[in-house]
Amino acid sequence: MSAGKILVVDDDPQIRRVMKATLVGHSYEVTEARTGEEALESLPGDMPNLVLLDMNMPGMGGLETCRAIRAGSDIPVVILSVRNSEKDKVAALDAGADDYVTKPFGIEELLARIRAAMRRSPSSPEGGPRTYASGDLEIDFETRHVRAQGRDVRLTPKEFDLLRYLVMHAGKPVPHRELLQAVWGPDYGDEPEYLRVFVNQVRKKIEANPSKPKYIVTEPWVGYRFVANS
Amino acid sequence: MRALRFAAALLLVAAVLAVYHWAIAVNTVTAALTLLLAILLISTLWGLAEATVASIAAVLGFNYFFLEPIGTLTIQDPQNIVAFLAFLITAVTASQLSGYARRRTAEAEGRRLEMERLYALVQSMMLRGSARNTASEFVQDVMQVFGCSAAAFYYLPGGDVFRSGPLSGAAGDADLRAAAEAPEGSVDRQRGIAIAPVRLGVRSLGSMALMVAPPAALPSEQTLRAIGNLAAIAIERARAFDEASRSESARQGEALKTALLDSLAHDIKTPLTSIKAAVTSLLGGAPANQRELLTIIDEEADRLNRLAAEVVAMARIEAGKLHLEKRPVAAAEIVSNALNALPADARPVTVNVAAELPLVDADPEFAAQVVKQLVENALKYSPGGSPVVVSAERRDARIVIGVADRGPGIEENERARIFDKFFRGRRHRFDTKGTGMGLAIAKGIVEAHGGRIWVESEPGEGSVFYFALPAIGGREN
Repeated sequence: MSAGKILVVDDDPQIRRVMKATLVGHSYEVTEARTGEEALESLPGDMPNLVLLDMNMPGMGGLETCRAIRAGSDIPVVILSVRNSEKDKVAALDAGADDYVTKPFGIEELLARIRAAMRRSPSSPEGGPRTYASGDLEIDFETRHVRAQGRDVRLTPKEFDLLRYLVMHAGKPVPHRELLQAVWGPDYGDEPEYLRVFVNQVRKKIEANPSKPKYIVTEPWVGYRFVANS
Repeated sequence: MRALRFAAALLLVAAVLAVYHWAIAVNTVTAALTLLLAILLISTLWGLAEATVASIAAVLGFNYFFLEPIGTLTIQDPQNIVAFLAFLITAVTASQLSGYARRRTAEAEGRRLEMERLYALVQSMMLRGSARNTASEFVQDVMQVFGCSAAAFYYLPGGDVFRSGPLSGAAGDADLRAAAEAPEGSVDRQRGIAIAPVRLGVRSLGSMALMVAPPAALPSEQTLRAIGNLAAIAIERARAFDEASRSESARQGEALKTALLDSLAHDIKTPLTSIKAAVTSLLGGAPANQRELLTIIDEEADRLNRLAAEVVAMARIEAGKLHLEKRPVAAAEIVSNALNALPADARPVTVNVAAELPLVDADPEFAAQVVKQLVENALKYSPGGSPVVVSAERRDARIVIGVADRGPGIEENERARIFDKFFRGRRHRFDTKGTGMGLAIAKGIVEAHGGRIWVESEPGEGSVFYFALPAIGGREN
């Protein structure tokens, strides 16, 4: 049985070859694209479960491709790049990527990142409530539907999982590491920049004034805390 | 042409006299006034000389045909003498005045023409971009705009003379050189040569000569001065333009270097990505006898990757292209980030960061890279099981981070050179691990922060590497 369908977007043929051989060996179905343009074209027909996207490609490039994918889809995107500065990581996450892997990487690391990006918290945790409402924020955990300030809000799966974890622990500060591991998986914990970017994105979508958040507040040096509003 | 005008003037006077003498009988006053009108007309149309000749003819004719005794050039009545003199003076004065007015008009017209030409010169000058051939192009512009037959330009800083037109030799090199030092230009109407210094403020840039045939068409001295000023501005502008494009091309060179470095990093890391992905994939299910060899490929791929990163980092530092993103950061954060980046199986390190330290102004990633490098060195060069201590403390306006080991220490003569690129201590010369760039990169990063890095060591006891970064007002939480 297929573990999922992955679209590999990279201009380097050898990387596509080794990706295909390895991922197929781990029960994934693999389709390929050489450029961002090609990827966007094949996306609606292929319907992959995840996109592995090279950052540095001729033509529209990884970041722009990622933004274009995000404009129409919530599909998990993992960016692959030879750059490893925090600035580049933040730029990729800001463009809507779910994760960022620096080239060259060991295949176990990549597989772990792929699993983390595809993983979603179960739609209704045992014993948890099915819906949540506070002030102008309404969340339906079952349908992953969010309304804020009277508008429907579209969250990516990772954004939704982050918001849900904070809501489940409303009123308590959630440490960075705990939040990272809850949303991305047990291999994570040293990527505070992920939280900075994702929390910002969620705030932009649910807060009336994202620079003065009233739902998700920062706990300096600790993490984040969800505050219920009446 | 001139003779024709004289003839026409005389004919006009004769016509007036003939009409009044034979066709229409008029009195003396009417005849005199009509003649005056004719002379005014002549002087307005053609000038003073023609009017004067016409005046004399008119006076003689008037006397002969209208003053008693008629038919002679003698004057009988003394009253008529007065009238005759008045007539003569009026005719001459009127023609003088109108001649003067004509000259002024011609001068004004000439000046307007010169202004137009100067304007045209400025415009053609503005179209010139590069300094290449500016002087010779300017010479050609001047020739074209002012209708000169030849022109020459002496460029003092280069000592070159630019000439244009077959007769430009009329102004010799010596004349041009002398003019460059002269306070004012000169216009030689006989030879048809105008020559003027070209000056920017008090600095002489050379001189310029114009040769015109006919000589009367030479520009005025004011215009000559204006041309000289324009030449100076043209050259100065071209020089500034050159300088600007030079610094622009230097900037582009730097940008190109950085782009090359980035593409080098990319080009090396792309095949490494395939190798690493393939070998780690194989390692997963490899039998024990192959594991050792595959592990070697994996480790060496990592080493090549580090090497590429270090070469690029070193080149960036040397090109002054290290892009720091400084922010207030706690020393504790720098240290913990560095230790988190160490391999999971690394020896434990003791951390000893003083409480209540001010924040430092640094790029957290690069600062952590320095700590990591120092800790890696300490772990590498000290015996397993011996302690490695990372400390941070305040010294005046700086935060000093230190990494201490109980290794063999560094001999005094090697301490100064240990931060040099590719330097290896005598003891570790044949140690193949590492690139010999780690400490040089650390030094480059610290110095880009305006900080200092140094080592204190006691051979046989151990070494402490320190680096100091500027502290800022805030307190660490």
